[in-house]
Order: sequence, then C-alpha cells, then structure tokens
Amino acid sequence: MTHFDVFGLPPSVDLDVRALEQQVRDLSMQFHPDRAAHGDARERRIALEKTTAVNDAFKVLKDPVRRAFYLLKLKGIDLENDASAAAAKMPMAFLEEVMERREKLEGALRKKDLEAARAMAAEVVELKDAAFATAVNALKADDTALAAHQLGRVKYFTRFLEEVEAFEEETLS
Amino acid sequence: MKGFLQIHDPLKPKGQVVGIDLGTTNSLVAAVVNGKPICVEVDEGDAVLLPSVVNYAADGSVLVGQRAVAKLAEAPTDTIKSVKRFMGKSLGDVETKKLGAYQFVPGTQGVVRFQVAGGQPVSAIEVSGEILRQLKRRAESRFATKVEQAVITVPAYFDDAQRQATKDAGRLAGLEVLRLLNEPTAAALAYGLDKNAQGLFAVYDLGGGTFDISILELVEGVFQVKSVGGDSALGGDDFDRAIVEKVLAARGISAPTPTQIATLLQAAKVAKERLTDSAQTTLPFEGADFAVSRADFDSWIQPLLAKTGASVRRALKDAGLTAADIKGVVLVGGSTRVPAVRTFVAQTFGKEPLADIDPDQVVALGAAIQADLLTNADRQDEVLLLDVIPLSLGLETMGGVVEKLISRNSPIPIAQAQVFTTFQDGQNAVDIHVVQGEREMVSDCRSLARFKLTGLPAAPAGMARIEVRFAIDADGILTVGAKDQATGAEQKVTVKPTHGLTDEEIEQMLLDSIENAEADVQNRLLVEQQVEARRVLSDARKQLATNGDLLSDAERSAFTNKVDELQALAAEVKDHQTLKDAITALDDHAKPFVERIMNRAISTAAVGHRVEDF
Repeated sequence: MTHFDVFGLPPSVDLDVRALEQQVRDLSMQFHPDRAAHGDARERRIALEKTTAVNDAFKVLKDPVRRAFYLLKLKGIDLENDASAAAAKMPMAFLEEVMERREKLEGALRKKDLEAARAMAAEVVELKDAAFATAVNALKADDTALAAHQLGRVKYFTRFLEEVEAFEEETLS
Repeated sequence: MKGFLQIHDPLKPKGQVVGIDLGTTNSLVAAVVNGKPICVEVDEGDAVLLPSVVNYAADGSVLVGQRAVAKLAEAPTDTIKSVKRFMGKSLGDVETKKLGAYQFVPGTQGVVRFQVAGGQPVSAIEVSGEILRQLKRRAESRFATKVEQAVITVPAYFDDAQRQATKDAGRLAGLEVLRLLNEPTAAALAYGLDKNAQGLFAVYDLGGGTFDISILELVEGVFQVKSVGGDSALGGDDFDRAIVEKVLAARGISAPTPTQIATLLQAAKVAKERLTDSAQTTLPFEGADFAVSRADFDSWIQPLLAKTGASVRRALKDAGLTAADIKGVVLVGGSTRVPAVRTFVAQTFGKEPLADIDPDQVVALGAAIQADLLTNADRQDEVLLLDVIPLSLGLETMGGVVEKLISRNSPIPIAQAQVFTTFQDGQNAVDIHVVQGEREMVSDCRSLARFKLTGLPAAPAGMARIEVRFAIDADGILTVGAKDQATGAEQKVTVKPTHGLTDEEIEQMLLDSIENAEADVQNRLLVEQQVEARRVLSDARKQLATNGDLLSDAERSAFTNKVDELQALAAEVKDHQTLKDAITALDDHAKPFVERIMNRAISTAAVGHRVEDF
C-alpha cells in the first residue's frame, strides 16, 4: 500500500494539502486508537496500525519535496535511503562542483564568517528551487532519469543549506 | 514489561473511570458525573488539591498530602516533594543537583532513589505511586465503587523515559492507564467542550515544576496539536527558589542547612501567593521578617518569564504561525495566578488570556472528560484528540552526531524506518543508540536506549541492509524493531530504558504490593526468566560455535557443561528466582570468555554506519 493509496489518491506531484488535512482528520476520527480504546487487543492493534499509516503518509505527502522523492521511489529510485543509487545518478562535474562549494563553506565556517555563509546559502537556495522545479516537471512528464538527476541535486543543496542553518543557530545562540 | 496487568476481562465491571492530574506541586482526580466533570475531594478539609508530597516515617508508614507537608520542616529528607521533577531522571541529570535536601542513593541504571526513613530507598516512581494510590482510594470512597482505569496527564514536553515512568507509577498504584494525555491538550478539552470553540488556541501552562506551551487547532471536534514546546525544568518552584536565594543572600547564608531550605521554601511559597493580591508582604525567617514587594518579585522572575517567551516563539514558528493567528490563550497551572505571568502572556500574544476555569483544576477536568470519552461508547463521536511527539527522536551515528529520525511535533502514532549497514567486512553486530532531543550531538540529548543488533550474516562492509523501525504509540511511547532486509528475518530487540526502573524492579514492587495477584506475578516472572534463559543459551551456543577457539579444551568443556545445565534447569524449574540465579551464574562464568571475544571483536565493534551518502 503506497502513501497515496492510504488516501485513495492517484500518485501525483500536485496535491491539495488542505484537502489532505481534512482527510487526515476524517480518517483519524474513524481509526484513531482512542476510538478503539474499549475494543479488544486485535481491534486496538489495527487502529494503531491504520492511524500510524495515515500519519506516515501525511508526513511525506504534505511536503512537496518529500512527495517528489517519494514519487521517484515509487518509480524505482530511492534517493533517500540508497547512497549508491543517489551517487550513480550524478554526473562527475556536479560532484566536483559540490566539493568545491563545500570547501568554500568549510572555509567560511572556520573563519566564523556568517555573512559569507549566508551569501553562499542564498545562491544555493536559487539553484535548489530551480532544480526542484525541473524535477517536478520531469516527474509530470514521466522522465524518471531527469527527475532523479534533479532531485539528487536538490538533496545535495538541502544538505548544504542545513549546514549553514546549523552554523547560524550556533553563532546566534 | 509488556503489560500482563493490562490483560483484563472485557466483561468485568470497570467501576468509575477517572482523570488524574499528577502534578509537580498538587495532584487531582476528577470524573464525569451526570455529564459534567468534577474534581474529587482528596485531602484534609475536603480539599480537591492533594499536595504532591509524600512522607516516609521510621515505622514504615506513609503520609501523603497536607499531612506530609506538615512533616517537611521536621523531616526534610524523609519528605519528598516535587517528585515529578525526578521522574525518569538519573542522578547525573542537572536537576537533581538543584536546591533540595534529599539524600540520593544510586539505583540500577543510574535511576534516582531517595534514602528515607523506614527502610529501603524509594524511587520517584514509587513516590508517585503513593500519590496515585491516595487519589484512587479517595475516588473509590467518593463514588463507592472500584476505580481501576484512569487517564493520567503528563506535560507535553515529557520525554519517553518520563512517560514510561508515569505509566509505571500508575500500574504500581493498581491503575490501568487508558491513556497518557498531554496536560495542555487536557486543558483545551475542558475549555473546548464548554465553549464549542473553533480555531487556533494556545495553552500556556506554568505549573509548579514544568512549563508547557501548546498550539492547538480545533476543527469539527478534532483537537489537533500543531506544536508543543516548553521546559520540563521551569515552574512556580523556581519562583520560590528565586525568593529563597534573595533571602539567603540578604542574610549572608552561603551554606544553608536542609531544614533552613525547607522552611524558607515554604515561607517563600506563602509570600508568593500573598503577592498575587497585595503589593507588599513579609516573609518570616529565623525570628526576623524579610520584606518583599510585588515589584521586587516581578523583577526577580523576569528571566524565568523570558525563558517561557522563547519557548512560545519556537512553538509558534514550528506551527508556521505568528501570535496574531492565535484566537485565544488558555491559562493552566497555579503559577499563572501570578499577576506578572498574566501580564507577560497578554503582552506576548497581544490579547487577554482566558482563565474562567480554575487553572489548578482545568487539566484534571479535561482528563476526566477524556477518560469518559474513551470508555463511554455513546460519546465516541463527539471529539478526538490528536497529539504530537514533543521531542525529536534520533540515532547516534559516526562521531557522536545525532541523525534525526522523527522530528518533533510529528503527529502520533507514527513510525519511521531507517536502513543501516555494516562498517567492516564480516561485521556481525551493529550498535543502535536511540536519543531524544533537538541538539546536534548525542552528548547533548537524552539517551533513551542502547541495543545491539547481533547475528548479522557475514557480508562485505556496506552490503548488509538492516531496517530498524521506530514506532511511537498514541501515548508517545517508543518501541523498536529490526529486520534484515536480505533474509527478511525479524530480529527481536529488547530496548531497556537507559533511565528508569528495570522491569525486574517494577516486578519486585508489584510483588510487594498486596493488591496484585501473587500467582499471576509468579507466573509472569517465570515466563520472563524462561525467555531470558533461552536468549542467554542461544547467545552462549552461538559464541561457542564462532569463538570457541578462544577457550582451552578444559574451559570449553566446563562452559559447555554449564550451558547444558542451564538448559535442563530452564525446562523444569518452576521458581523464577532459581532460574534467574542460574542465568546470573552462567553470565558470571562467561565473563572471561566474553572479554576475549570483545578483544577479538574490538576492530569490528564500531558504531553502526548509516547507509549514507556523500
């Protein structure tokens, strides 16, 4: 059963998150363990399993980026859990570019240069947004290879931004 | 303990179900009667607030509530107050070092125990159990029926160990815990049903020892928690301490005695309460009065209020909201009676808070409503509470860094799987260390459990695929399972809490409690030891097979004999203690062997390496 199946939806990059929220409420009303509190052990276990499935599915589907990675996984490429799959999709030139950016960032972090780190982050946000837009279109056009490549980029960029954010929090606290 | 006490006959009459607010300062029990929640009189003078204070006397008798409070000054080390702060905590936790006169004794796994008069040291769970027992008894006499099922509230910010401890305390008191309910959610339930409200609400809960802020959305009978935040070590007790510190400084006392501290804390509490209605008060101490104005007091607690403000901002941010989105603010906890707190809340949210239900009772009343909803089939369609996990759950990865698995404020129940691989060729075990908290480094987070996945098939480094699945139930309590993806073999993983009582200790306490059927317990203990014996035997045989060459012939045959003896004993013995002793004896006998295996394995005993990338 896929996360889309949980809500009776066809796999798609486009989802109405508000409508999904309403479905989560309705399904919870029906299946939440509290609903089965007076039931027997089996009913309680099923309630727990169903509600867990609803919450797991919602967690993935409500976020456009996670939703895209999940769609790609349904098409057979698991970038989130499979390092070799991820690396195999990336051209050498991009890996080199990443290394270079990373070295620059590490330099800025060493010097505690928050401004430089932020400037790099701003640049990466644009690259990430562009890569993600391309990936979404590729998924719509069923171009799995392109989608995998672009989502791989999104993944690298996200990691980069997380590092900058952690650095910011550390510096500001 | 996987719940042998929870097994109940569905046809058995359940008596009255209750909601319990097991508070840091006061505890309450409430129940729905004729459709309305009411608090039960539980202490001297028909008070509904039972001070969460327990006194242990030399003759073994136990006092709870006001009668225990009366012993505070006279027997400060035998009278435990604010025990909730110690729930699920170890001696190493910072809080245990705060002002407090207790004599701690280390228990197993670093759990806090108090040395008190009249016998064995007691754990926080046992002390809480005494409070719950008193509430149960009073509710039983009030309703003239058995009370065996309860909803117990916990601060939303309680971590897994603290929730476990609370559930264990309920069991010790002979209560089936239907649900652990987050306190702010309980408060919202009390308000929501009365007012039939819709929209976004904040619950600002400043109790004796904990601060919680929750953002909830109420839509069509569903109370959905959007985010929670807070501080499990901040509350009205800290206001008292702020006063005490000023008095001590003014009197030039640098090393106060336990009696001085206890006396002063009580006087400070009285002074604080007086300042709610008057602008000036005095605090008598050792024959002289210490003057405190409300303005002084307000300024002393400002840093504490500012800490609550930071939590509020974070909770709003997590929910993707600003203060302006909040339709109403509910006040919970006796400490919200302090005028400076109300002013602070009004400023923070830009609106006057709601306080028309007694802030001391609102949580218990909400818990009673939830208990009624859970057991009363007619009311099932009215309302539903959807809670979230308050703190992120993660795993230790290389270098002591936390890899977050389930982020805070995810709706529960929820599950998350993570794939691990090995780090060395032929590695057959991976260490899994589960932590809870928001910080980057393992050392800054709360350690929940450590376990080892063993018996992995030999494979080159990075080839094994072990899926570890974390599941959080509707009470916010974690269970962990593991599966080898290659073989599909499920591995049974026992997660022992790093803090808290071991199952054996709880069983021992249950044994001590005459309220439990002796035979059930004996049987359960035996079954547990049989399971343990099977595990030990299987480990021992596995090690003999793979690492037997580390032993001399004589050692090996002696060890093999011991293993066979245990196997024979496990099959026939009916007394769990005999079996337990035999297991321990085998363990002891195996120690030198284990050491040699460890030495051999030292190169492979690395921390589990994530199937991570780049």
